[in-house]
Amino acid sequence: MSLYKRLIYYSLLIASPILWKTAEAQDYEFEIPTEEEAAKLEFNGNLDAKGGILQSNTTSPVYGLKFFGQDNPDYLSQYRLDFYLNGDYRYKQVGLTMRTFSQYTKEEPLELSFYELYGSLNLSPRLTFGVGKRRYNWGTGYAFNPVGYVNTEKDPENPDLALAGKSSVYLKYNRSFNSGFIQNLSLSTIVLPEAADILDKYSKFGDLSATVKLYVLTNNIDLDFMFFYGPDQTRCYGIDFSTNLLENIELHGEASYSNREEISVIQNGDVQINEVSGFSHLLGLRYLTAWNMTVIAEYYHNNNGLSRQEYQDYQTYLENNLITGDADLINETRSVMTDNFSSKNLMRDYLYVKASLPEPFKWLYSSVSVFIIYNLNDNSFILSPQIGYEPFTNSEILLWPSFLFGKDDSEYGSKHFRKKLEIWFRFYF
Amino acid sequence: MRIIKLSFFVILFSHSSFVLGQNSLPVSARGDEILKKVDEVLSPGSVEFYRKLINEEPDGAKKEFVFYSVKKDRDKVAMLYLLPASDKGRATLRLDDNMWLYIPRVGKPIRITSMQSIVGGVFNNSDIMRLDYSVEYDVVKLDESGDSYILNLKAKTRTVSYDSLKMWVIKKNNIVQKVECYAPSGKLIKTLEFTQIKDFGGGIVRPAVIETTSPLYRGYKSVMIYSDIKRKNLLDEVFTLDYLSRLGELR
Repeated sequence: MSLYKRLIYYSLLIASPILWKTAEAQDYEFEIPTEEEAAKLEFNGNLDAKGGILQSNTTSPVYGLKFFGQDNPDYLSQYRLDFYLNGDYRYKQVGLTMRTFSQYTKEEPLELSFYELYGSLNLSPRLTFGVGKRRYNWGTGYAFNPVGYVNTEKDPENPDLALAGKSSVYLKYNRSFNSGFIQNLSLSTIVLPEAADILDKYSKFGDLSATVKLYVLTNNIDLDFMFFYGPDQTRCYGIDFSTNLLENIELHGEASYSNREEISVIQNGDVQINEVSGFSHLLGLRYLTAWNMTVIAEYYHNNNGLSRQEYQDYQTYLENNLITGDADLINETRSVMTDNFSSKNLMRDYLYVKASLPEPFKWLYSSVSVFIIYNLNDNSFILSPQIGYEPFTNSEILLWPSFLFGKDDSEYGSKHFRKKLEIWFRFYF
Repeated sequence: MRIIKLSFFVILFSHSSFVLGQNSLPVSARGDEILKKVDEVLSPGSVEFYRKLINEEPDGAKKEFVFYSVKKDRDKVAMLYLLPASDKGRATLRLDDNMWLYIPRVGKPIRITSMQSIVGGVFNNSDIMRLDYSVEYDVVKLDESGDSYILNLKAKTRTVSYDSLKMWVIKKNNIVQKVECYAPSGKLIKTLEFTQIKDFGGGIVRPAVIETTSPLYRGYKSVMIYSDIKRKNLLDEVFTLDYLSRLGELR
């Protein structure tokens, strides 16, 4: 080793602790994260305290079956607390979303339902991937959505109500264009496993559903094209649109074709499941009057709904089973009601009209509205006005009566109540 | 002879244009130029900002909202509700004439009209989700009064919320002072007053407060306060229906 090399060697040897310390100091240096880089965890929600009085429809077989073996008072009351707790966690590209629901009606352990619980990787504003239980709301209709293949069925009496989602895996790609025919395009793919119905834990392998949706914004028109593939080779093809015709008129519509849908009917006094194919569709508009009233009107044709005769057969079936007084048969009939005839839109053709006016008579923070759902097949309907008021920030009071009209064997005439008055107190946090 | 006459007029015209310079522009062209400068001052390029909206009632009661907003180009605006808790997570998007509202509980954006008011009070959607004035209006008349320009604007299409506007602009810095909004009948619908000129940094100097009153709502007043206006690079995909539920990620 030459002297020169030796000098370098010893110099390094002597300096090594310093160099080590320096290296150590560099390794352990860090920057305190700014607020923008820190993880974000947020909670919010609301408590709905609800009370209601119902006038019983004691001649209805639905009422008879529901309250079989109970006292049959002319008026029923109900009190409950609905509690919604939502949480969102975000750290850079990773997100976790939770929406829960609990209902308190009497002193017993509360059950917590996860309406939504999913994780998402927001890879960029253009690409998102997610897994978990998530609510989708496809379609441009307000009260009904014939193209809502992945939706949880809405209640047309309260379309804005929070609903439970579905277990799914989704991938979304989103792209904007500055010029040309298309302003924005997005492609969504969703895969949904079947519900775990084997020992409440398992489902049949291969029973998956898959959907694809293509959205385009072109010439100020929202357009969606959907395709759904489900078990047993069920295929659905859908299209919807929405556009503003004028500054105060919006027009929307949906059309869906299905090659195979199940419909439950009563034949020879027994439940039979038939398969139908065909089109369901919806056409609607949203109109803002000169005095600030918003009117939503929609016509809906439900291809797998019951005809007038089929609904009458169903009512006869319920009535015949009720009058036997046989507890086992009545329990079986109740199961049929919930498993086969629980849809919110059991029949074929409906007309929905809602008019709402914020701050009537210049009463600030109040609102009034009224809606009607008219069954065009049997001329029965529900009429429901609402009065809302926000006395303080983050609080709301809603007074909500409902009146049902129709013959005894019609859809709305056969419900278990004739009139209903509800009052909601809602508190947000 | 004809050629000589023609040449004479061409030379005369080009010479007068050269001498008179900008002032020789037709009134509407000069007015449009001023209007574009007004827009540049109010919303310069691609920005993010926070706003507080206070609705005041005749009895002194107040309702307050806080929004986080992003704006890009002249026709893209998105806004997220931060307060109150009852509206938290709602988001609105405006792309040119199209406007949507996203409500977390409902889970999808719905088309709304610019004439509706989603927050109550004197402001309507188009006031809160306003595009550049020059996107929606043409200058039809330009007057001057002391240190101010007075622009008379006419809506380019029927889908614009107000048929016409009258706008007062400070000459030296192109900052808008006041805007009166009129219905097609000529009736005054509301008045917006721009006050508290503030330097937000990054070359952004503009009014920080907009006060709105309306003869249709006697005694009511809406005040919009701007804060933390910053330039921010934003992808076009931020201004899409798919991104509405994710707007909070930008904060």
